Amino acid sequence: MMKELYFALYAIKKNIQSSAELRTSFLMNIVGMSINNTAFIILWGFFVKSVGVIGGWTVADIIGLQGFVALCFGIVFSAGAGIRKLADYTASGAFDRFMLSPKNLLVRIATSSFGVSALGDIVFGIVCLSIYAFLIHATIYQILLIALLVIISTIVFLAAAIVIYSTSFFFTDASSVTGSLFELFLTPSLFHGGAFQGAMRFIFTFAIPSLLIGALPVEIVRDISLGKLLLVGVLAIFWFVISINIFNRAIKKYESSNFMTFGN
Amino acid sequence: MKEIRLATKILKTLVKDRIQYLDRLVVDTIGVIARCGILLILYWYVFKLSNGVINGTTFLFAAWSIFFYFSFSVLRLRDISREIMKDIQTGNVEVLFSKPISYLSYRMWWQVGSGIYSFVVITLLAVVALFFIIGLPPTMTIGIFIPTLILTFFCGAILSLFLYTIVGLLSFWIEDINPVFWIVDKAVMILGGSYLPVALFPAFMFKIALWSPFGASQFVTHTVYETWQTNWYQLVGIQLFWIVLLGLVVYFMFESAKKKVSVNGG
Repeated sequence: MMKELYFALYAIKKNIQSSAELRTSFLMNIVGMSINNTAFIILWGFFVKSVGVIGGWTVADIIGLQGFVALCFGIVFSAGAGIRKLADYTASGAFDRFMLSPKNLLVRIATSSFGVSALGDIVFGIVCLSIYAFLIHATIYQILLIALLVIISTIVFLAAAIVIYSTSFFFTDASSVTGSLFELFLTPSLFHGGAFQGAMRFIFTFAIPSLLIGALPVEIVRDISLGKLLLVGVLAIFWFVISINIFNRAIKKYESSNFMTFGN
Repeated sequence: MKEIRLATKILKTLVKDRIQYLDRLVVDTIGVIARCGILLILYWYVFKLSNGVINGTTFLFAAWSIFFYFSFSVLRLRDISREIMKDIQTGNVEVLFSKPISYLSYRMWWQVGSGIYSFVVITLLAVVALFFIIGLPPTMTIGIFIPTLILTFFCGAILSLFLYTIVGLLSFWIEDINPVFWIVDKAVMILGGSYLPVALFPAFMFKIALWSPFGASQFVTHTVYETWQTNWYQLVGIQLFWIVLLGLVVYFMFESAKKKVSVNGG
């Protein structure tokens, strides 16, 4: 386990060094993504201004929501950007080289690529969550809760990404399918959390875990709801176990294309 | 004549391709459901909570306005930026420059062709579905609606192509246009009336949407409101102004960009 972790950290370090070679592009991607994400705060901020408070959600909660989602996205798709390339790897036969590697297959795939722009999401997420904590006058307890929920949300996000991109093994050219499924998961997570009620809230909590990565963490911090925290924690473990299981089953569907693409 | 032949050929080929390989249609359909479908359900709930009226607008108007934005986005005209960047990064631009066709014209028609099939199918199905589920606002039944909708749609499409072509042409000078693309794209998203319909815009934001090329490229979302009947010619006029201005920018940028390319053959 420690060996795998050491390998993952080593691969991430090398990926960052490689990406940082194109310095201007590297920095522009980070800054550009941070500005890009601000759009959702502007949109939903004006929404709250026009419509008023819905489900107890204020502009501060919108900032918190965007912070949680951006941070999860950034953590998973910066260090583990390789997961997003799974469809290309399987379609092109490049997956062969991962199977030949003595390292853990999922770790090897995830760390095979680095998402520079996702660093912008991390920066944006940290800034948003800091502003959120300031705006709600967060206590030490709530700050610790935010830190814990970032970890839990990241696990859910990672699990959802693994499940979605594992479908790559079931289609001939799956990049469009995985892209659509990912959009179906991510887009609702960026929407105003207070507007999800009744059946919609149930679907996007239990069937598609979009609310687990943003809306529910915000409500847990705001209301200091231990019941919801327990629910999100249990669902995070559930989704993670399921995702590893699905991935292991899915790779059995892979048939080697015998492309000679050893190395990176 | 040559231009028309090229456009027809590209459109025909791409439509046939999309009919044969339906994956893009599936992707676009799921995309519209994920964004527009869920958003409409949320707005339905929000309008219900506000007794049916927000900022003097009802759900019926807001829903059609949001739908027009997402329907227009199915055309994927914005992807022209990345296609141009890809051509430049891969060196494909060198091959295309040596052909007896206009590169930009080819790229623009290609972009229209690759999205038109999904656009037509999804729009027709969604219009029928929306008509039966929520009905039509009275503003959409008057005689002037269809001709002005078509007019502003075409102007919006040309403006979008010019706007994103400018972003794409920046690839001749900077190595990665993605950060610029994100900012322009989000400006269009905010000012175009995507997640927040234009009727719910605060006054200053409405003015920016009205007078900027980002908002002007999505004037199709304004067509459902009552104000459209009285000021449509002003909005189309704004679109035409931006088309001429951005058209000139595209022309001069492209002329300057061509000087930076050296065709080596081989």
